[in-house]
Amino acid sequence: MTLGHSDTLVSITDLNRTFTGGRRLLRKSRTMNAVSNVSLQIERGSVTGVVGESGCGKSTLARLALRLIEPTSGRVMFDGIDIGTLTPKAMRSMRRRMQMVFQDPYSAIDPRYRLQDALLEPFRLQGVKLTKAEASAKVEELLTMVGLRPELARSYPHQLSGGQKQRAGIARALALQPEFLVLDEPTASLDVSIQAQIIGLLERLKDELGLTYLFISHDLGLVRYFSDRIVVMYLGRVVELLPTPTALPRHPYTKALLDSTFEPDPKLRRAVAPAEGEIPSAFDLPPGCAYASRCPFAQERCRTERPELQSRPHHSLGNADGNMPPYEHPVACHFPLSLTSI
Amino acid sequence: MSLLAVDNLSISIGNVTLLDGITFSVDKGKVLGIVGESGSGKSLTALSVMGLLPLSRGRIRSGSVIFDGIDLTGLREADYRKLRGNRIAFIAQNPMTSLDPVISVGDQIDQVLRLHLKMTRKAARQRSIELLSQLRIPEAAEVCKLYPHQLSGGMKQRIVIAMALAADPDLIIADEPTTALDVTVQAQIIELLVQLVRQRDMALMLITHDMGVIAQACDDVVVLYAGRVAESNEVGAIFRQQNHPYTQALIGCIPRAGMAPGSLKGIPGSVPSVSSYASGCRFHPRCPAAADVCRTQTPQITKTADGGHVACHFSAGVQG
Repeated sequence: MTLGHSDTLVSITDLNRTFTGGRRLLRKSRTMNAVSNVSLQIERGSVTGVVGESGCGKSTLARLALRLIEPTSGRVMFDGIDIGTLTPKAMRSMRRRMQMVFQDPYSAIDPRYRLQDALLEPFRLQGVKLTKAEASAKVEELLTMVGLRPELARSYPHQLSGGQKQRAGIARALALQPEFLVLDEPTASLDVSIQAQIIGLLERLKDELGLTYLFISHDLGLVRYFSDRIVVMYLGRVVELLPTPTALPRHPYTKALLDSTFEPDPKLRRAVAPAEGEIPSAFDLPPGCAYASRCPFAQERCRTERPELQSRPHHSLGNADGNMPPYEHPVACHFPLSLTSI
Repeated sequence: MSLLAVDNLSISIGNVTLLDGITFSVDKGKVLGIVGESGSGKSLTALSVMGLLPLSRGRIRSGSVIFDGIDLTGLREADYRKLRGNRIAFIAQNPMTSLDPVISVGDQIDQVLRLHLKMTRKAARQRSIELLSQLRIPEAAEVCKLYPHQLSGGMKQRIVIAMALAADPDLIIADEPTTALDVTVQAQIIELLVQLVRQRDMALMLITHDMGVIAQACDDVVVLYAGRVAESNEVGAIFRQQNHPYTQALIGCIPRAGMAPGSLKGIPGSVPSVSSYASGCRFHPRCPAAADVCRTQTPQITKTADGGHVACHFSAGVQG
C-alpha cells in the first residue's frame, strides 16, 4: 500500500515472521505468526507510531525493520536497498544509518562500561579509528546533545537515574549519525515527568538532525501526540493505519485503545466498556478476525472470514478538524465504525 | 467522621526524615488519589497506614493515623494482624510478585476467608468462586484450580483484587495497581475498583504517578513531593486550578488529544534523594517560579480559597 509519498526512507512489503514453540510432551510444536503481511511506507523525516498491546508483534516488527531478526518472508527496503540481500559485512556498515533505542535503559547499557566506553563502542564496532582527543570530544558532544553533563562520561550506569540512562541510550544510538531510529517503548519504564522530558528531547533531536522515527508504544495517547501517522497492530496484523494523529478510529480495537487512554481532565471521564476479555494467545488463531472475541460489534462473518486491510471510501469527515482526509485510511474490519457514530 | 484520617504524620528511618507532616483523610464510598513521582513518598505513606513500616525499619516520629476511631500508630502487631487483610486490604503494584507461585489461586483466596472469616474449606471455596465471578472472570471454578503462571497479568491482578475484597474490607490501599498492565486492561481494572468502591461503600486509597488515572478515577487528590504534601484538594478543583507549580507540572506531563507538537512539558531534573533535599521548599530547584524566599523558608500548609490546601509561598489561591 502506498500512502502517496515520494520520499520514502523505509519501505516494508508483505513482511511475515513466525516463531515456533509451545511444544510439550506428546504435542507437536505450534507456529505463532508474530508479524503477518505487514506493509508500510516510512517517509523521510516523519514519525510513524506503532501501537498495540503486549504480544501484538510491535517489537518484532521493530526488529525486522532493522534486520536484527530475519523475516520468514517479505522485504524491507532502506533508501532503495533491499537489506535482506546484504552480506553480513554490508549489513553492518548499513547499520550506521539505522539504530535502535531500547525499552529498558537499565539493561541496554553494559553495567561494567563507563558511559564514555558505551558511547564509543559503536565506533569500535564499526572500525572507526578515533584519536584520544577526538574520542573525548565526541563523548562530550554526544552527552551535551542529549542534555547530560559532560562530567558524567566517567560514571557507570548504576550511578545514573532511569531518565539519565535513557538519555545515554539515545546518545549511543546517535553516535554514528544515523538517519533512522527505531524507538521501542523508550519511555515505558520511566516516570511520567521523565517520559515527557525524553519525548521533548526526541522531538528536538528529530528537528535538529533531520531524523526519521519508527516509534513503538502501547500508549495511544502518547503515540497520537508524537506521531505523524499511526499503525495499529493486533496479534501480528495491521488492523488500521491512521493517516493523521487526530484521525478518528474506524476499527473497534483502535476505538477501545483510545477509550483506555485517560485524559488529565476529570470533565473528560470515560465510560470504560466492561471487561471484554484479553488479547488471546497468538498460537492457533481463529480463522476470522482476531479481534472478534473481544469486539462488541462482532457478527457471524467476523468469526469466519478474516477482513483484509483496505481503504474505505470516505463519505464523511475524516479528521477531527473537519477537513476531508488528505490520505487514505486503511482499516481491516468488515464493519468499520462510521465516523459520525463516534 | 472520616474512615481514615492521617494527621501531620512524620516517618523516619534512623535520623533521616522520609515523610514530613503528611495530612489527608478518606471517607467511605470515596476514592482518594495519592500522586507524585517515584521517590515522593507515596508507597511509604501506604506502608505506614498498613503498619508495615518495620519491614523497612521505618518509625513513626509524630502524628496520628486514625482508622475508624482507632489510632493505628500505637497498635500492637497482634491487633494489626486482625485489621490487615480483614478491614484494611492492600493491592500491590506487581501482581506477579504478590501471589505465591506454588499455591493455586483459589487456595490463596480461600486462605483469606478461612483466616479472617473463619469459614470452612467448602464455604470459602464457594465464596472465592463468587468473588471471581463478580470480577467478571469466566469459568471461575476452573480458574480457582490454576496457578499464577497460567494466568495473564490482568487476570493475576484480578485475583489479587479478589483476595483484597475477600474479607469485605472497609479500606483498600492500591499501590500503582495497573502500572504493570496493558492500557486496555488498566482501564478495566481502574473501572472495576471504582465500581466496587461505590457498590460496597468502601474507601480506596489509589496511589499512582499518572494524572490521567487521577482525573479518571479519584474524588480527592493529595500531591506529594519529596516526602511532603505539596497540595491537596477535590479532583475537580485541582484540575481547574493548580495552586502548586508541581501539580501543574505533573498535569503538563500527560499528552492530551490535539496537543501541538513540542507542547508536552516534562519537569526538569528529577526527584532528589532523601540525602540531598533542598533547603526551603524542596521543589524550588525544579520550579519555574522559584524566588529567594523559596530557597530559605519552608512553605507551610495553608488553606486555599477553593477549599484545598497548599504549601507554596506564591500560591494564587491562598486565603487572605
